[in-house]
Amino acid sequence: MIELNNLTFKYREDEAYALDHISISFKKGDWTSIIGHNGSGKSTLVKIIMGINESYDGDIFVDGEKLTEDNKHQLRKHFAIVFQNPDNQFVGATVEDDVAFGLENLGMPRDEMIERTNYALGLVGMSDFKNHEPHRLSGGQKQRVAIASAIALQPEVLILDESTSMLDPEGRQDVLNILKKLHGQLDTTILYITHDLTEISSSDKVVVMNKGAIVLEGDIEEIYKNKTLLRQSNLKLPYTMVISEALLNGEYVTHEELVDKL
Amino acid sequence: MLNSMLLGRYIPGNSIVHQLDPRAKLISVILFMITVFFANDWLTYGILILFILLMTKLAKLSIIFLLNGLKLVLILLIFTFFMHIFLTKGGSVLIDGGFFTIESEGVITGIFITIRLILLVIITTLMTLTTSPIELTDAIEKLCKPLKAIKVPVHEIAMMMSISLRFIPTLMDETDKIIKAQSARGSTFMTGSLKSRIQALIPVFIPLFMSAFKRAEEMAIAMEVRGYQGEAGRTHYRLLKWQRRDTISIILLIMLGVLLLWLR
Repeated sequence: MIELNNLTFKYREDEAYALDHISISFKKGDWTSIIGHNGSGKSTLVKIIMGINESYDGDIFVDGEKLTEDNKHQLRKHFAIVFQNPDNQFVGATVEDDVAFGLENLGMPRDEMIERTNYALGLVGMSDFKNHEPHRLSGGQKQRVAIASAIALQPEVLILDESTSMLDPEGRQDVLNILKKLHGQLDTTILYITHDLTEISSSDKVVVMNKGAIVLEGDIEEIYKNKTLLRQSNLKLPYTMVISEALLNGEYVTHEELVDKL
Repeated sequence: MLNSMLLGRYIPGNSIVHQLDPRAKLISVILFMITVFFANDWLTYGILILFILLMTKLAKLSIIFLLNGLKLVLILLIFTFFMHIFLTKGGSVLIDGGFFTIESEGVITGIFITIRLILLVIITTLMTLTTSPIELTDAIEKLCKPLKAIKVPVHEIAMMMSISLRFIPTLMDETDKIIKAQSARGSTFMTGSLKSRIQALIPVFIPLFMSAFKRAEEMAIAMEVRGYQGEAGRTHYRLLKWQRRDTISIILLIMLGVLLLWLR
């Protein structure tokens, strides 16, 4: 679906690489988590894929087509993105207006817009809040609206750029549950960007980034085989893994499996 | 203080006035404002006051509530009233205080002009109380469409207005947070000379502006990735529907104006 080829990027000439020769591909229908601590280049990567940062070296292919200045608006239609701060991506005056905003931009007929808006709000469980204004919603609810706005566009790839980092644990779980449901129902390709290892449990593939480079790539079991590298990348192991490492053989376990084994 | 402000607030409801098309309300308010200037005696002012009372009733709002909203312009009202009492001459002399006189014409004009101001404030408050900001923005966009011919970016202005309106509560919260944070660091905002109080606001405004710029940038990116490229090729989710009652409301206002012209 997306292929990056030797992608290199610097914010300023005299600075270190923000992205250092990244080559990777994201498969259609996969849930890929990109994980790294602050400044590891994960958000920069998203901005480049979306065509927001443009002065990069290397190639990006979306659905086999090379991303250029001319086709970026066109290729962008494959993606929808949910950003970190729920307040700064709420364009509409009410929940339904916000979901419809992206559809209005596509020039969609009104009947279809209403149908899609209702459908998307239903998927994230926000139908009852249709007429609410953003400041009357909690952070988690706003992020759910942001997800609805994204899926209303029926994107092939849904990108979440630290979308849960400003939410409380409840809001975070909420968002993750909705994503699981969407991934199961719609088979959307998900790029999930985070700095929290506890949030990657549903991924098909995990990419660990540090200082602009990919340091580790594989499924969850594989990346946990290299705990030293995770620690070197300034990532905090979830408590299940710490216990597994101390008491068991250090293999990947979920919360339930850990309880069973103990 | 900001909570007690009635001007510019919206109170959701389902009265007939709420349901009117915002364009009809906007045009009606403008027509009423013109009509107010036709009034020149007790009868015509009486008719206008009656009309406002009727509208308030139809909007299911209490007149006391609306009068409370006048507190904000109270000083202006008192000032205008006394200006006329002292400066407008004519009629019989009521009080002769040596270096100033109060004459009957002055008192009457003072009362009329004050009523006129009150009517103007109440009718606009009535409109904003019964129309959500976003509806008003839509109405302004639609009504100003002809201006596009002379290259006024109507759509962009309306979009800016609606986003600004949406950010008001967010930025209010933020200001509150920053004030609290600075207070916790020992800033005082309520004491000291005017100069020191103004100086104390600098550490509030700088972070507020910084964050506003950051928000604006993120918002711009969020809009761009959701395919916003200006007005071209855009459709509209919100639909304004002009109905018979909207036409009726405007005809009523024109009739009111004609009636006043005839009576004066």
